[in-house]
Formats: sequence, C-alpha cells, structure tokens
Amino acid sequence: MIPIKNILFLVSGVSSFIIFYMGLVNYLTAVEQSTGMILLIFATAVAAGTLLSTVYISKSITKPIEKLAQNMTEFSRTNKITNRKPINTNIKEIHELNDNFQSMGQKVEKTISVQKEYVEKLKEIDRKKVEFSSMVSHELKTPLVPILGYVQMLQKQELMGELNKKQQDAVDEIYSSALKLQRLVGDILTTQKLDLGKLEFNQENIDVAELLNSIIKDFKPIASQKNIHLIKDSAEKGVIFSDKDRINQVFSNLIKNAIDFVEPDKGQITIGAKTDKNFIEFFVKDNGVGISETNQKEIFKKFYQIDTSTSRKRNGSGLGLAICKGITEGLGGKIWVESKENIGTVFYFEIPKQPVKINNKK
Amino acid sequence: MSKNSTIKDSDVNSTHLNILIIDDNEQITKMLTTFLELKNHNCIVANDGEQGLRLIQENKHDVVLLDLAMPEFDGYAVINALESKDQLKNNKIIVFTASTITQEELDELVKRGVTSYILKPIDIDLLHSRIVESATS
Repeated sequence: MIPIKNILFLVSGVSSFIIFYMGLVNYLTAVEQSTGMILLIFATAVAAGTLLSTVYISKSITKPIEKLAQNMTEFSRTNKITNRKPINTNIKEIHELNDNFQSMGQKVEKTISVQKEYVEKLKEIDRKKVEFSSMVSHELKTPLVPILGYVQMLQKQELMGELNKKQQDAVDEIYSSALKLQRLVGDILTTQKLDLGKLEFNQENIDVAELLNSIIKDFKPIASQKNIHLIKDSAEKGVIFSDKDRINQVFSNLIKNAIDFVEPDKGQITIGAKTDKNFIEFFVKDNGVGISETNQKEIFKKFYQIDTSTSRKRNGSGLGLAICKGITEGLGGKIWVESKENIGTVFYFEIPKQPVKINNKK
Repeated sequence: MSKNSTIKDSDVNSTHLNILIIDDNEQITKMLTTFLELKNHNCIVANDGEQGLRLIQENKHDVVLLDLAMPEFDGYAVINALESKDQLKNNKIIVFTASTITQEELDELVKRGVTSYILKPIDIDLLHSRIVESATS
C-alpha cells in the first residue's frame, strides 16, 4: 500500500519537473532570448507553485486523515474514544468523516457498557440461583426430618406399639413417599449444581472389584424383593483414581431404572467393568422392555420420561439420567446406551482411570 | 421395620444417656426428644446457639446434638466458641444439618474436634447408633 502523500508528491514532482524542463528547453532553443527567459521564469514559477500546493494539500488532507486513522486504531484497541476534539482541517468531507466516527464510537461505547451491565446482572442471577436452591433444599429437608422421624418410630412396634395391618400399610406408604420427596430434593439440587458447574468431585483410590461387590450388596435386597437377579459379571481387579460416591450415584440411578424396566420374576440385571489403557468402562445390563431408538436420543435430557404403557408405573423425577450424564462428563468421561426393544438395554459409562481435568475447586 | 431386633434394642436401651439437643426448629427437637426418650435417654433442649453453648459449659452431657443452620448464633459459632476455650474435644458433639454442606467441610469439622456428623433428614436407627458410639468413644 502506498501513502496518499507519496502519490501526491510523485505526481506533482514529475509534472513540475516536466514543466520546468520544457521551459529550459524552450529557453535554450529560443530565437529570441528575452521570450525564452520569460517562458523559463514562468515555467519555474508554475513548477514551484505545483510543489507548494502539493505541500498544502498534503497538510490539509493527508495529515488529518492520518490523525483520524490513528484515533480509529486507538479506539479499536481500547474500545474508548480517546480523542474527542474536532480534527484540525478545512476540508468538509474529513470533518464529516470524523463526526461520523465519533458518533459511531459513542454508540459502540454505550453498547459495551450496557453489555457489561448485563454480564454483571447475569452473574448476580447465577449467585442468587445457587443461594436460592440451597435455601429451598434446606427448607424442604427440614420438615422432612420430623415426618421421616415419626414414621420410622411408628414402624417400630417396640417404640410405639403394634399397628393393625391397615395402619401399617398407611405408615409404609407415607414412609416411601417421604423418601421419594427426599430423593427428589437431592436430585434437584444436584442438577442445579451440575448446570452451574458447581458440583464438586473428590479423588480417591477405588478398588474396582470392591466397588462392584458393594454395589451388588446394596441393591440385592431391593432386587430380591421383586425376584430380580442382580449379578456381577467382571473379573476386573484394578484400582482407579476417581470419585467413589459419584460413581456409586451413577450406578444407583442406572440400577434403579433397570429394576423398574425388567419384569419381576424374570428380570436379570448384570453389572461389570472393563479397563483399557486410560479408561474404565462400566456397564449396567438388563433384559427388560428396552428403549426405542427415538427415546434413546432423548433419555439423557432433563425431566424426560419415557411414556409407554409398560413404563407408566415409573415415578422417578426424570432427572436420574441427566445427573448420570452430568457426573460422567464432570469426571472426564461419557455415557451412552445400547438397546433393543423387548430384548434389553445396556448403559455404558466410561471414565478416565486417572483424573484428566476434574473441576474440583480445592 | 426391624421387628426382630428387640434383644439388640434392649441392649442399647440399657445405656442411659444425657443428651443435649441444640436446634431452633421445635418440631425437630420434639421429634428427637420423643424418639430418644422412648429409647430411655434423657433429653435437654436448647432452641438457639447461645443457650446451647451455656448449657454445654454449665453441665456435663454424654452427647450434644448440634444443628448448624440457626439464626444469629449458629452451630459454627458454638463450635468456634468451644474451640477458642479448648473445650471442643472434651465434649461429644454430633453435628446434624440439612444444609448443603460438602464432605470436605464435614471432614474439616471432625478434624477440628467434632465427634461425628449426620445429615438431615435422618435415619433414626443410624442416629441412635451414632449417639451410642459417640458417647462410648
């Protein structure tokens, strides 16, 4: 790119040289010396005039344009108009250019400050959301304490005396509903934390075989109640470094779902794990009703509930799988499902054996 | 639930404990008192942290159940006050809370000298075994 100044000087320099040269040739070849002399002086004057006017034009056009360009560079760097003075020039177009630049700049400045305000407001809303959800969770849990406390007491005849069958059934119903409510409060809180990236993850050594055995032990009673087989199919013996409680939480959600989806008496649920170099892959497999392809795409979304006649008995919050997804992703892994209708479903989740980048605050 | 555990219950019931309950929620303290008295323990209730702290310092209790979230003088304030007078470890304090507290925060409290913790809502069997464990630890 060539500066406008250089073009001006080149054009005027060449043209004034040509005028001067023609004047000189005229003088040297003139028949009458005095006429040649006058022509030479005239040519010199024209040439000098051209050069002088170039200097003037350069000053009044290129200098202010340079200044304006400089202001614009400064503006794009700082997002602020540093020089609000009018440009020193007599040229109307340049004044207009500067005025437009100034008013455009002011609009940009204003937009940016409004944006900053919005960002601050959004951050404030985020903070309030966290405060609100922990407050709500606390307020909802508090009345659950006496509800669950008294129900548990009523369930113990040595504490509160014997209940007749109807009373006992009623008390059991209250107990299971209260537990459901408690779980729902917990799920909502976990989901909110996941949304805000506020869920914390621990890191500890986990013996995989031990982990799977303890999960089997925890869920065996619930599965047995419905005559469902829950077994481990894995010879995995390694140790991984991750968050045991969170892995348990994922297993717990997947197994509870599986229990809901298999037929009592015929149901079989298998859990297991296998490792490769960097990852461990866990699975929960069932021989239940299966999940259609359309539903497979949606099930990890919040509040999604499969609505078919076979699953209407389900009464989860619709948050379980969204939480599983959030947790595995938080642990640096992923979760997916493979399923055939009326044959069964396998949920896989894979996480790093060593933490990659865990968003633990401490 | 556990109807066949009467023998075990009577064993545990034979331990008669003095328990101080510090919680601002009267429905919770009432439920806890009902339960623990049915288990043959003796309960004293404080409805705020200040009163609770005074009772801890005046009398000896086998176990103190301390709620964390209370208006003004909360459970943390009680713990801080006891710690500053080097009295935290002499008392068997079980923190119980419905707040969204992290595992790390709970571990930190135990490191400072709190005996145990339990999260609300509570499993009354678990609560009772925690109380007996803490009293005899």
